[in-house]
Amino acid sequence: MTSSAEAAGFWILAPIAVIAALGLLFARKAVHAALGVALVMVILGIFYIMQNADFLGVVQVFVYTGAVMMLFLFVLMLVGVDSSDSVVETIKGQRWASLLLVVGLAGLLFFTIGATVVDEKTVQAGIDKVVATNADPGNITGVAELIFGQYVWIFEVTSALLITAALGAMVLAHRERLTPRITQAEWAAKRVRDNRDVAGLPAPGVYARHNAVDTPALLPDGTPSSKSVSRVLVARDQVATTDSLRDVERHMEREIEEGGAK
Amino acid sequence: MTAAVLPALSNLSTLPAAFQASEVNYVAVMPLFIVFVTALIGVLVEAFMPRERRHRVQVSVAVGGLLAAAVSIFWASSNLGLTMGLSDGSTNRSLFALAIDGPALFLQGAILLMGILGVLTMAERFGGVGPDAFTPSGASTPGSPVETAATRAGALTSEVFPLTVFAIFGMMLFPTTNDLIGMFVALEVLSLPLYILTGLARRRRLLSQEASLKYFLLGAFSSAFFLFGTALLYGYAGSVYFGDLSSAISTAPLAMNGLLLPGAFLVFVGLLFKVGAVPFHAWTPDVYQGAPTPVTGFMAACTKAAAFGAILRLAYVGLDTARWEWSNALVIVALLTMVVGSVLSVTQTDMKRLLAYSSIAHAGFILVGVLAFDRTGVGAVLFYIVAYGFSTIAAFAIVSLVRQNGAEATHLSQWAGLGKAHPVAASAFAFLMLAFAGIPLTSGFVSKFAVFSAAVGSGATGTVLAVVGVLCSAITVFVYARVIVLMFFSEAPAEKVEVVTPSAMTTFSIAIGTLTTLALGVVPASLLDLADRASQFVR
Repeated sequence: MTSSAEAAGFWILAPIAVIAALGLLFARKAVHAALGVALVMVILGIFYIMQNADFLGVVQVFVYTGAVMMLFLFVLMLVGVDSSDSVVETIKGQRWASLLLVVGLAGLLFFTIGATVVDEKTVQAGIDKVVATNADPGNITGVAELIFGQYVWIFEVTSALLITAALGAMVLAHRERLTPRITQAEWAAKRVRDNRDVAGLPAPGVYARHNAVDTPALLPDGTPSSKSVSRVLVARDQVATTDSLRDVERHMEREIEEGGAK
Repeated sequence: MTAAVLPALSNLSTLPAAFQASEVNYVAVMPLFIVFVTALIGVLVEAFMPRERRHRVQVSVAVGGLLAAAVSIFWASSNLGLTMGLSDGSTNRSLFALAIDGPALFLQGAILLMGILGVLTMAERFGGVGPDAFTPSGASTPGSPVETAATRAGALTSEVFPLTVFAIFGMMLFPTTNDLIGMFVALEVLSLPLYILTGLARRRRLLSQEASLKYFLLGAFSSAFFLFGTALLYGYAGSVYFGDLSSAISTAPLAMNGLLLPGAFLVFVGLLFKVGAVPFHAWTPDVYQGAPTPVTGFMAACTKAAAFGAILRLAYVGLDTARWEWSNALVIVALLTMVVGSVLSVTQTDMKRLLAYSSIAHAGFILVGVLAFDRTGVGAVLFYIVAYGFSTIAAFAIVSLVRQNGAEATHLSQWAGLGKAHPVAASAFAFLMLAFAGIPLTSGFVSKFAVFSAAVGSGATGTVLAVVGVLCSAITVFVYARVIVLMFFSEAPAEKVEVVTPSAMTTFSIAIGTLTTLALGVVPASLLDLADRASQFVR
């Protein structure tokens, strides 16, 4: 039977997990959705531990909240935290039709699965078996015996999946170097030969309050130098404006003028 | 310390033995092993072989390995039975991951032979450095200078060959697995390389990449359905093995059916997605059109074989005792698949999309055979898979040869008058069209006759299915006849469309595909007999 502690834990944590899972669906920002998933994964890990599957619970937290979620967040950072889904419907009425089907399927699954009556004795026998296995060969040893005994073939076949994934990542993302790499000496020689930026590109601006790479240096006439910031930042429109710097400058000029007038 | 350990030790005798290793019949699983090792060798070749020799070596490794595996099936066929697992002495259950039986070995052999033809068409170079159908640099942006530089520098994507062999490994495993978890892993092993291969076309790359993404996303959804169903069925039976599932259905209380029915349906959704059955077919036309044409042919033939093998095993071994609960849903799916596939193929203007809808219709016809629920049905399905597979690989290989300005001419209007300029290719294609339509003296007629007669023999529902099947065949006859008329009795378009002269490898696979279509139409007895003898599942 379910102990009262387990029941209390379940009824506290399960609603939180459901809310977090709904948050995944309805969150406007991708980061919030990812955090919702992380919460669901942690709570699932706690459930596993409550069900005497210690190893599975810890692995759940490690692998999903640790590795998989971090991967999600990396991708989010690459795509851009601010980017949100387009909500324009390409097929008219798709949203209502899919909502209808989703509610229908959810209701159908909810009522059929919910109507299931599970035999108490079978469940108790299963729990007893888990407790006995945890006590004698131990939780981890028990899992190992299953993986390397009964399920060894599936375990080995999974390696084909991993190799395919690695190979596919190489094919789709790795760009083979087709031309020899240009050395620094060759770059320098090329600069002198072309007589352009012989001394190298100007460094970003260094000011009293800003010295980041997105702050352009100012030319003698006060206009920002486009050469001093990376063209990637320019393309992404992430270059800081220099107006505020000019404001400080103007303020100082005014003070000097006022001082001179006195 | 010692005192605390001692009581635990005394308990040991009452618990099961500490560790039981899997029993493996290595001869029975030899074909699978050989294909897996071939794929691994392919990966190593990719890593260490200089670029100039890579293509030749990769093709030889892949074809050699697949041939060796096909030969080893003869030895495996004398070692039928369950393997790769253990017998649980205390409960008298057999927990085996693989079922080496007639349908499994028949489909393994079919997938290997069709896979060899697929690899040979993929290897077509037309005098270039790398395979002609695949982009030289999958990582470059379509149309970018990097792509042009890669072409000029002689880059090639020879990774497609190990990927294909991995896909073949998964396909061979799919109808062989005897449990739901293994089936899920096999589903992923066969799908993942296909997702990648779909996105690597040399021409119209954006279309290809879109197809790949679409296939991947929808495939991931269908895998999730399969997994959800697996979880429910595990909750129902307490085991993932088909044998346990089948016996649990006959013994479990009725109150548990709330887990059985959704579980069975969701697992079927995952499998029906792979064969492109309506309403899970939406990916088929887009993916067939976007994928490199040799990959489309390979995918159409071999994925269908593997997925129908898995459906057969699930329907006949795992969920057979609950047949009355789910067969009506499958009947509706089969009806929809036949009708939608054949009606929509009428409106197509692109050759690859037309063949895609035709493959949907064929999936419906094969489902009719599955729903016969007896040994003749299994034999008919096995025969149909082979007949359709060989024809479709040849058909797509011919599509890849028809070019206009170097690009594949897939629009129907471009095929007008092809029969006058290129009678051999057009006649072969016309013959394959007749086979798809199910005209006598082609394999298509024999296979349709086999599945429909099996369906009629199974009862009233089967008769209805067979009648609808015959009507839908009549609709598709119109589609194929229109293509033939277009090729032989229409004026050629103003801009010249040519049929490129292929290398010996593509010629070989087109010839074998077409000749098999003819041979199975004229003398089908030997293969029908083999399929019939191979139609017994082991439990």
